[in-house]
Amino acid sequence: MTTSSLPQSLIATLPGGYYTDESVFALEQTRVFESMWTCVVRSADLAKPGAFKTVQVGRESVLVTRARDNSIRAFLNVCRHRGARIKTEECGEVKRAFQCPYHAWTYDLEGKLIAAPNLTKMPDIDRVEYGLINVHVHEWLGYVWVNLADEPVPFEEEVQGQVVGRLGDLDSIHNYGIEDLGLARRTVYDVKANWKLIIENFMECYHCATIHPELVDVLPEFAEGLATQLYVGHGAEFGDGVEGFTVDGSAGAERIPGVSEDQDRRYYGLTVKPLMFVNLVPDHVILHRIFPLAADHTVVECDWLFRKDVVDSGRDLESSIELFHRVNVQDFEACERTQLGMGSRAYAKGGVLVPSEHHIGGFHEWVLDRLGTSLA
Amino acid sequence: MIPACPLAALPRGEAFRLDTVEPPIAIFHTDDGELYAIDDTCTHQDASLADGWLEGCEVECPLHASRFDLRTGKVDALPAKLPVRTHGVVVEDDTIYVVPSDLPPNLPPGARAKTA
Repeated sequence: MTTSSLPQSLIATLPGGYYTDESVFALEQTRVFESMWTCVVRSADLAKPGAFKTVQVGRESVLVTRARDNSIRAFLNVCRHRGARIKTEECGEVKRAFQCPYHAWTYDLEGKLIAAPNLTKMPDIDRVEYGLINVHVHEWLGYVWVNLADEPVPFEEEVQGQVVGRLGDLDSIHNYGIEDLGLARRTVYDVKANWKLIIENFMECYHCATIHPELVDVLPEFAEGLATQLYVGHGAEFGDGVEGFTVDGSAGAERIPGVSEDQDRRYYGLTVKPLMFVNLVPDHVILHRIFPLAADHTVVECDWLFRKDVVDSGRDLESSIELFHRVNVQDFEACERTQLGMGSRAYAKGGVLVPSEHHIGGFHEWVLDRLGTSLA
Repeated sequence: MIPACPLAALPRGEAFRLDTVEPPIAIFHTDDGELYAIDDTCTHQDASLADGWLEGCEVECPLHASRFDLRTGKVDALPAKLPVRTHGVVVEDDTIYVVPSDLPPNLPPGARAKTA
């Protein structure tokens, strides 16, 4: 990078074109989104065999479903006959098969071709060979990850390795029993910004005192501008007098049973590259799944998860949910504002990172490494 | 009487497609343990009913969900309009045999052209 002329306090960001150029985005689609594990669906949203969701992963529409044996399966959402999209809905349920609406090629829940007009007249068509194309699937924390690579890096290495790198061990996240929590709220944010701006924003807290007044009231150390993610195992402590992770510091819901004493009254934020955030607080978990659709367009789905008994009781969780909803809105507004500058000549060579943001340089190096490109 | 398959090769809930006859015949072993044989080809469009879904004494075509009564061959659900033929089934020495119907089949347009 062109760091030679910068004062020691600063390092360079990526040039603006990395956030606007569709050819960069195309490279990211193939070398990041289609080559890594991505968290796409909450397992409980696929309640029974035949329930399905369609999700965008890189350039591909992926059909995620539950098979007869209750296992999760994922397929490219493309008919093997003439390429029609099998399901255009975001979610739904089939009784026992996926049928292409064009010529009625019909696939079972395991993806095998089971029927088609005149199929018995074509006994040389292998029904597995001409089945829907499988996508690698892994379930963890009650969520489904998919990987479109032919030979994925092991999930443990790529995903769980990142969590260990942040929290120190896997127990620290398993304590929250995320797969046993209930969904209290899901909000989908349509963000007119490049996905990397959203990641970078989540990685630093230099902006916190300026745009997140409610969050800083609950977590006073955020006003220092240091990212909690810098220190392995560190969680930001609730301020004195703060009773819960809520918009006004009032008490939240009942603590999740497995949360340790060390984890009580603390907030842990994790970025799981490429496209996921996890936020852990004693009484709930906030999980973001990020879907980049274009260089300047990203959809973020955010789930608020509480103990099932808390969700089932129907009690008002608004003050808890409102806190991070505001943080999301504040962050995504900032990202959209930043996106507006990415195409400017003022940002052609990029901007700068202050010391409390220098670790974002590591993210940029990671991106460049994945893309196989170099700025030098 | 045409030998189809060993009884042991056709568990309950499954179907066997006998394609040594033209048009082919589908034999179903219901969950209740009954054996039925009907024309394998749906009368609406060329599809194998043996690939369809067996529920009770009905089979649902895998292509367009037409339903046929295995006992009578009659249509229970559209879009098929014409019945399939039913055939006799005999089990001897643990082998399933079919006694084909003498009636003319109701084949769908594509399949009719090919067998004509």
